[in-house]
Amino acid sequence: MSPAARREQAISVMALGHAVGRRVLLPLVGVVIVLAIWQATVAIYRLPLIVLPPPWTVATTLADLVGTRAFWRDVGVSLYEFVAGYAIGTTLGVATGLAMGESRRFRQALTPVIESLRFIVPFAWIPLTILWFGTSYAGKIMLVAYAVYFVMTVSTARAIAHVDPTLTRVGTMLGMRPLRLALRVHLPAAMPTIASAARAAAAIGWIAVVAAEYIGASAGLGLMITNAASSLATGVVIAGMIVIGLIGAGVSAAILAIARARPSAR
Amino acid sequence: MTMNGAAAAASRPAQRLAARLPGLLLGCAGALAAIAVWSLASHALQGGGGVLNRLPGPLAVLRELARYVEGDFARDLVSSLRVFAIGWVLGVVAATLIGLVLGRSALAGAVFLPVVEAIRPVSSIAWVPLSIVWFGFGLGSKVFLVGLAVFLVVIVYAVDGCSRVPTDLERTASMLGMRRLQRFRHLILPSTLIEVLIGSRVALMAGWGTVIVAELVAADSGLGAHLIGVEQSYDVPAVMAAMISFGLSGFVMNALFTRLERHIVPWRRDATQDAP
Repeated sequence: MSPAARREQAISVMALGHAVGRRVLLPLVGVVIVLAIWQATVAIYRLPLIVLPPPWTVATTLADLVGTRAFWRDVGVSLYEFVAGYAIGTTLGVATGLAMGESRRFRQALTPVIESLRFIVPFAWIPLTILWFGTSYAGKIMLVAYAVYFVMTVSTARAIAHVDPTLTRVGTMLGMRPLRLALRVHLPAAMPTIASAARAAAAIGWIAVVAAEYIGASAGLGLMITNAASSLATGVVIAGMIVIGLIGAGVSAAILAIARARPSAR
Repeated sequence: MTMNGAAAAASRPAQRLAARLPGLLLGCAGALAAIAVWSLASHALQGGGGVLNRLPGPLAVLRELARYVEGDFARDLVSSLRVFAIGWVLGVVAATLIGLVLGRSALAGAVFLPVVEAIRPVSSIAWVPLSIVWFGFGLGSKVFLVGLAVFLVVIVYAVDGCSRVPTDLERTASMLGMRRLQRFRHLILPSTLIEVLIGSRVALMAGWGTVIVAELVAADSGLGAHLIGVEQSYDVPAVMAAMISFGLSGFVMNALFTRLERHIVPWRRDATQDAP
């Protein structure tokens, strides 16, 4: 190997090391500092476990929790409610948004209704869903579908309206009928915007499930942490919050992966 | 020519109205159709429609809304708004200060921004039980939750605003002999505050939703407490009236803030003009 090549290699290794330091080491330092402050607060003020357990206790609580059947049942129930509601809300929302984007008449007729319902945030529906459906899954599924529906409708309609008009002209020139044009040209072209709206909607829908479970549920992560809070098991509450955050991030990553895997999404 | 132009100008509002009329009519038709479907559904479900048999008609809800507005609405709204305003201001101020530190210092940003990013997916709603353990059912827990919700939104905008000051402007400013403090005061601060302003409007709805959930769970006062109260007495028309009052107050708040933002934006032009 020539000296120049060797030097180049050394530089690139150094650059790699630098990047690793910035991307991995410094955030790690941040996490360690936060955990140290947490631990120090507990130690200095002698906080009892019910106010704030130290990080290590939370970690062991989380490990114990993951080993129980009840925990996985709660996760399963919450995820089931979320996935079912999300599928319904996204499908209906994209369909409505597509129709609103394609037909000006339809958009003009539907806009006042959509806009006024949009301001009644999903959380305000929780008591009504409990009166209608009790503590069953159906209420939460409806709530998630409602929360997701409006995000998807509004952003799909906007995305369809902003599709490059050249594509429409090409499609028309090739003799495509309006329905085929909408499904085969406009929808794929609007896919990137719809995919990012789908991620935002997932975050809202997931937290709507948790909030609904606080107020009336027979199982689920939201119920688990409110129960833990009322029996002052703060370690379980924090462990549950971590799980809720992890699932939220996981769902978002999964939707991104699905959107990337579709060739039309690019 | 000029006569023609004047005539065209005079008839332009009328023309514009004529062009918009079909759209407005369609919108009214859509709203009426929705109300008609609602009335028919409530009528059809009256005689026992399974789970959904407790669906009151629009008139019953409207009557209930009128009664609520005459009664306790003002008190509940003030109580909710107070929680919301305190939490919102605290959240915006904290996010601006911390955002300035994390955005301007490369080291602090590299160390702590990932931590902030890790906390963000845990929505403020997930903090409700913990904040009740910490602060009880009073004002403190709700203010904490709203503040957190607003903070988590605004911090992104604040970091963005102060780390994205164009390098050209910064170089020019230092070349023209501006001191660090001057650069901060006239360059970085305005750029940050504009983004913070946008972020705090985005955070409006997040904070308002958090107020609702906090009041539903820790029901002692406010619109959410009223909502849970009428839910527990199975009063469906009152529940729907409370939901509508929530929607209306959110709508009014959003409209006011959008207008306010439009008023404040000229200030940004002044600030950038007197900066260099």
